[in-house]
Amino acid sequence: MTAVIQTKNLSKWYGNVLGLSDVSLEVEQGVTGLLGPNGAGKSTFLKLITGQIKPSIGHVAIQGQDVWNNYPLFGRIGFCPEQDAFYDEMTGWEFMTSLLSLYSFSRADVQSRAEKALDFVELDKDKDRLIRGYSRGMRQRLKLAQAVAHDPEIIILDEPLNGLDPLSKRKVIRLIKDYKEAGKTVIVSSHVLPEIEALTRTIILLHQGKILAQGDIHYIRDLIDKHPHMISVKCSDPRRLASSLISEPSVLNIQFGPAPETVVFETQDRDKFFGLIPRLIVDHRIDVEEITSPDDNLQAVFDYLVGK
Amino acid sequence: MVISEQGYVHWQGTFVERRFPWWPITRLGIRLAFKRKFFKFVFSISLLPAVMFSTGVYISERLDDFQFMLKGPDRLLEVNPAFFKSYFTSEPLLFLMVMIMVLAGAGLICDDLKYNSLQLYFSRPLRKRDYLLGKMATVFFFLLILTLVPGLLFVLLKLIFAGSFKFLANYPWIPLSVIAFSLLVTLFFAFYTLLISSLSKNRRYVSILLFLVYIFSNVFFGIFYSIFHNPYFCLLSIQCDIQQVGAAFFRESPQYDVPWIYSFLVLAAICGLSAFVLKRKIRGVEVVK
Amino acid sequence: MTMSHNAVRSIFSFFFFIGRKARKTKVFFLISGLPVLVALIIQINRLFAPGSGIDGPAIFSSVIMAFNLQFLILVLALFYGTSICSEELEGKTLTYLTTRPAAKSAIILGKYAAYAAFLILMVAAAVILSFLILNVERVLDLSAWLAMIKALGVLALGLMCYMAFFTLVGTFLKKSILFGLFFSFGWENVVQYFPGSTQKFTIMHYLKSLLPAASTGSAGKLSFLTFKLEPSSAGAAVATLVILTAVFLGLACLVFSKKEYIFED
Repeated sequence: MTAVIQTKNLSKWYGNVLGLSDVSLEVEQGVTGLLGPNGAGKSTFLKLITGQIKPSIGHVAIQGQDVWNNYPLFGRIGFCPEQDAFYDEMTGWEFMTSLLSLYSFSRADVQSRAEKALDFVELDKDKDRLIRGYSRGMRQRLKLAQAVAHDPEIIILDEPLNGLDPLSKRKVIRLIKDYKEAGKTVIVSSHVLPEIEALTRTIILLHQGKILAQGDIHYIRDLIDKHPHMISVKCSDPRRLASSLISEPSVLNIQFGPAPETVVFETQDRDKFFGLIPRLIVDHRIDVEEITSPDDNLQAVFDYLVGK
Repeated sequence: MVISEQGYVHWQGTFVERRFPWWPITRLGIRLAFKRKFFKFVFSISLLPAVMFSTGVYISERLDDFQFMLKGPDRLLEVNPAFFKSYFTSEPLLFLMVMIMVLAGAGLICDDLKYNSLQLYFSRPLRKRDYLLGKMATVFFFLLILTLVPGLLFVLLKLIFAGSFKFLANYPWIPLSVIAFSLLVTLFFAFYTLLISSLSKNRRYVSILLFLVYIFSNVFFGIFYSIFHNPYFCLLSIQCDIQQVGAAFFRESPQYDVPWIYSFLVLAAICGLSAFVLKRKIRGVEVVK
Repeated sequence: MTMSHNAVRSIFSFFFFIGRKARKTKVFFLISGLPVLVALIIQINRLFAPGSGIDGPAIFSSVIMAFNLQFLILVLALFYGTSICSEELEGKTLTYLTTRPAAKSAIILGKYAAYAAFLILMVAAAVILSFLILNVERVLDLSAWLAMIKALGVLALGLMCYMAFFTLVGTFLKKSILFGLFFSFGWENVVQYFPGSTQKFTIMHYLKSLLPAASTGSAGKLSFLTFKLEPSSAGAAVATLVILTAVFLGLACLVFSKKEYIFED
């Protein structure tokens, strides 16, 4: 698949402060999660790929074209910025129609797109109110609406779920997945890991301006051979299960709890462990309720990679 | 043995109500003003009139030595009530005070409105008057350095250079006039600055309004006076009002034949308007209609 | 129409609309109406004191126009010109404009055109009203109207030139208001007193060359309006102002296109 967004040795300094360092990657069609704690460089990266700022070193291209000052490209890009800033003296409707008119759509098209976008983010009833009077969540939804109203091919969302209630979050997640199915390219940044997990498996992990990891979350996890995997088993007789595995060399650690009737195994060879479990369960007639991998998530991946 | 849990440790002290709850606000305002590079430059420039007049005090005691420099009447260098009135009501000084307010005072309330800080302030044990007192004290700090400090310094320098208390014997009320007028003009500018700062969340807009109102009041006075030749139009000009009151405080004849009390009432009315507007504007919760 | 023209037109509409609704516009509209109030007071005084010897038309051409020329258009141009870039940065709304398919120069030009348009309308309304009030006995005099229209044209040209300059200043200076105040009430006011060609280094010189009646020889409080004008010819003055406007706007577009703007957190 050809890359939609390409960066090569992309670096950015703000005076003496390093924002981004030597980021070379390719983003393909589909949803890509951009993850990292506050100050990792996510917003800097997104501002670089949307041409808000110039790279100090390196190059960024979208669909093979340089981004900086390439305004025709923005007909195909939708950007939802992180900052909560608006033309407060406008109503939601005026804001949407004014921005849509910059795309050279016809008047009728502008109005229908604005209506559709506001309807989707459930601001149709409040569209004639001044933005100054909108709540935090309403403002966030309006930002999202302006990013998608012109039906762009590439959508870049900087912390789009901030300030949204759970229902709105689910709706936005659904929208992003719909965009993926429609063949669009979406980059979503967040520091809330479960949000990204709900959206995509393809992630870019940033930390202190550098790429920590990139790819499928499970693949990244599997790559971390040095770090053992945790497997939690909730069953009727956790102690018997533990005693049958204690002599197994690949089992490094066994802990009971914190939940009742739960035992957590730490193993260096997940595949072998999963091979052993079914036989032991049958042999010892243990009723197993649940088997999970508590660390097979982004937080654990991140913690391992950062070395915490 | 007590084993402490390594976590958040609650403070075991006793809460003591701060005697001057407004002081942290003032301290912050002063610190933020000095952080601006351009402010330090303008503030230094604004001390120039005080330096010049201090030199004048020195030269007034050494007139014989500086005779060769004097081209005009040496009465100009006599340190008397007119000298103090000249300093306190000089156009450059008043203009520089306005510029200091543009740089240091414009953001006092408008930045708090912009960043919704009022909610943060009033969720602390802070009353509205403490908040306003803190903001006014910031203005007082800068303007008293330009008024009260130099005024008292002139008196002190005069006594030191003269080597006698003759000056005080001749004009015993001058220190009181210096203190009273300094406080009056500072209080007026504090109200003026906070009034305009509370009118908008946009600092640029407030800066320009601070400057504009002052300058335009002079311009319109100039226009009406040149057409109608009626001295009562001086009440339109903030600068003239301050000068009229200053003349009264230093027992000098005012420039315009208008009772000084009218000018004082105009300044007081502006202060009253400011108090009224501030009372309405400063609240913890903003109601958006 | 090319994409650029469309973009400029769209941005013009966008900001003309916002500018009309903005609270600050209402305040500046009132400020620009102050000469109308002055005119009204003068005219009422003439009605009640007919022998006062106040010449309304003379006051209009010397005092009112001088005030508009030397103060009002400077203040309006300063605030709105510097706002073109600064308010997008301070409000952090620049992203919405720079992520649209519109050239950065179109943003500057469109916004400039929008603000210039309603400032000219604002000033024109005030000037026409003051003219009508002070020239009520000459309202059918075509020459008076022509003189007023000429003066209005000069004010509009001055507004556009100053706005273009302050637009340029706003694109690269953070403290654009302070610089603007020093320029307007420092440089422009001081250098015009210098003899010879030095005056030509101010925009005000060319405006006053077009409106010599807007300066008065009176002393006293209006002495700030007197100057030793060595006027340029009308053609040269207009050409210089137009060229300066174009150059300032061109430079503003260039700086805005090349510079990266980082929001302060």
